[in-house]
Amino acid sequence: MTRVFVFTNHKGGVGKSTSATNTAFGIAGMLRRAGAPNPRVLLIDTDSQAHATLVTTGSKDYGVDNSLYTVLMADRQNAAQTLLNCIVQSTWDEDLHVLPASPMLEGAERELMGIAGAPYRLAEPLSRIANRYAAIIIDTRPSFSLMTEMGLIAASDAIVPVEPRYLETVGLMSVIGKINDIREGWRQPNLRVSGILVTKMNTRVRGHNHLLDELKAHSVLGKLLLGVVPANEAVSYAHQSHLSVFSYDPKAPASKAYAQFVGKLVQRIAKGGA
Amino acid sequence: MMPPKNQTQRIDELLGGVTEELLLGNPQQFEDNSIRVERLLLEMVRPDPIQPRRVLPEQLHFAFHNNRLTPTQALRELVQLVQVAARQRGRPFNNVLELLPNPDDEKEEDPSAHLSPEEQLLHDLVNLAVTIRDDGQVNPLTVVDVSQGVTQQFRIETGERRYWATWLLRDFITNYSGDGMIPCIIIPAERSSVFRQAKENTARAGLSAIALARQAALLLLTVHGHEIPSQAVSNDFYRQALELDLRGKREYTESILSAMGGIDKARFSRLKALLHLSDEAMELADRHDIDEKKLRYLLSLPSEFHIEIVRQIIDFDLSSKQVRDLCQSDDGNTNETDENEKLSPSAIKIARVTQTISATSAQDIARALLLQEGDLNMAKARVQAMYKLLLETERYLGNE
Repeated sequence: MTRVFVFTNHKGGVGKSTSATNTAFGIAGMLRRAGAPNPRVLLIDTDSQAHATLVTTGSKDYGVDNSLYTVLMADRQNAAQTLLNCIVQSTWDEDLHVLPASPMLEGAERELMGIAGAPYRLAEPLSRIANRYAAIIIDTRPSFSLMTEMGLIAASDAIVPVEPRYLETVGLMSVIGKINDIREGWRQPNLRVSGILVTKMNTRVRGHNHLLDELKAHSVLGKLLLGVVPANEAVSYAHQSHLSVFSYDPKAPASKAYAQFVGKLVQRIAKGGA
Repeated sequence: MMPPKNQTQRIDELLGGVTEELLLGNPQQFEDNSIRVERLLLEMVRPDPIQPRRVLPEQLHFAFHNNRLTPTQALRELVQLVQVAARQRGRPFNNVLELLPNPDDEKEEDPSAHLSPEEQLLHDLVNLAVTIRDDGQVNPLTVVDVSQGVTQQFRIETGERRYWATWLLRDFITNYSGDGMIPCIIIPAERSSVFRQAKENTARAGLSAIALARQAALLLLTVHGHEIPSQAVSNDFYRQALELDLRGKREYTESILSAMGGIDKARFSRLKALLHLSDEAMELADRHDIDEKKLRYLLSLPSEFHIEIVRQIIDFDLSSKQVRDLCQSDDGNTNETDENEKLSPSAIKIARVTQTISATSAQDIARALLLQEGDLNMAKARVQAMYKLLLETERYLGNE
């Protein structure tokens, strides 16, 4: 079964889109280098700001007939085919495919409100084409809106990117609680919190080190810690150049940290286990 | 934006380093080239345009493969075609399920009797669709992964009828709500084989002589290194095989003959020779599943006569012996006039008969023909042949 990783946190600016895009690129690259027969990865951008779409495709001119919005508005029978038609190739890698977001997603939530089965409008068509991909990465918006719920319902693994700041780590348990609510409330037994990714870590800041130590020592969260990505200018410059951080500067500390993190996900994809 | 070349090498080092760590102890864990069985979205699957066994009538086959019709539109056209034919035969229907026999109907009538090929096709597809609805798709299709870039596509190697039956079930059979998926055995593109397809085709009954001729041509063209197109092709593509033979590729002879169902070289050559038939004759012979033993005699005639003889075979249900007699007499007439300006004795005899037609009656001629041929259909075929000959004669006289 194809693993669907959703990057979610209701706090903005924690590196969800950066992590989702670089992880998608990294998984495709690693699987190809490992000789996997199907190294294709699908990145789904559910954030109406479309940042992940912009950096991975070089454009955010997607709208009513070629974006995630189109899929959500399609009738049930044609939704999977519509999804296939809307997927575009990333400019980063031939094996990285993107289902682009559109500013219209903002209105989609209102349009779908009250429609029966609305939360499944992504999960249902995605399940029909998922086996064509080695992995699927979903980037979510910084809130627990209907769109984020759709992403979580479609996913098998939730990854929570978090900055090592006091208020953020305090909110971490509530994010995990919300994911568990979705699993129980929408009867999604396959959804689980698979990992925490600490981003923008600055080892010269005493508070960061302290919080990371606390996280590692925590009985539940410590086991979920999958990676620590250092604060690194290469990440911002990579965004500006519409490149992955691996491509912008493979020797940058952030690139190395993301590579280690991606390696752990690839191992899970290969083993099919936790 | 793709990274520059030297940067690519550095990304390779970074990702490759982690990959090597992952592969420690189990270097083959990602290299899964096995054949998989998966449920695929119906829209991702397409029939093979080069498949010698054609399910749809030729006109629809080409319209569909040239993307002028969607699967649903192609089936709608087929249903309409059959509705017209059925109405003409006094069996109108509105719903395709009406094509199936009604178990409550006490009249004991064989429903498959006197069905046109299109009616038979739709009847079979509906039957298959109902089986899939009631019992599920037990046998997966065999498909080849031909995905390129973001276009995910799978070409059917075997199971085209099940594909059409599933579409029929989805769009034409009411009260059915499937998930739009179809179980498939997925074969990697590099392991696709025309030999496997041929074996699957020939292993089943019902492959027409024309389909076998196309199959023979496809195998010959493949082993001779011809590029096999991915679009629907005309008969001229298969006719390229007429210039090829098994002798040129002896190492493949056994495999080809085995894939063709274990036939011998002579039968292979006879099947291949059917590609000499005219396009119209091939289409009609394929649709009506006319045997090679009947069609072989047409090859001695000029191609403009092929369609007429095929029609006579269908209309009068001629045996191969009757076709042979018909073609040999036609052959004698045409060859002699073409090759030799001297008048043949037969021509002189027929010309003399025209002077004495007032001395006989149609009834007498009919009885004499029946006596001569000993078979009503053969007698009718003789009259048709004569009729055609007289029309031709009139045309010649007009040109003189």
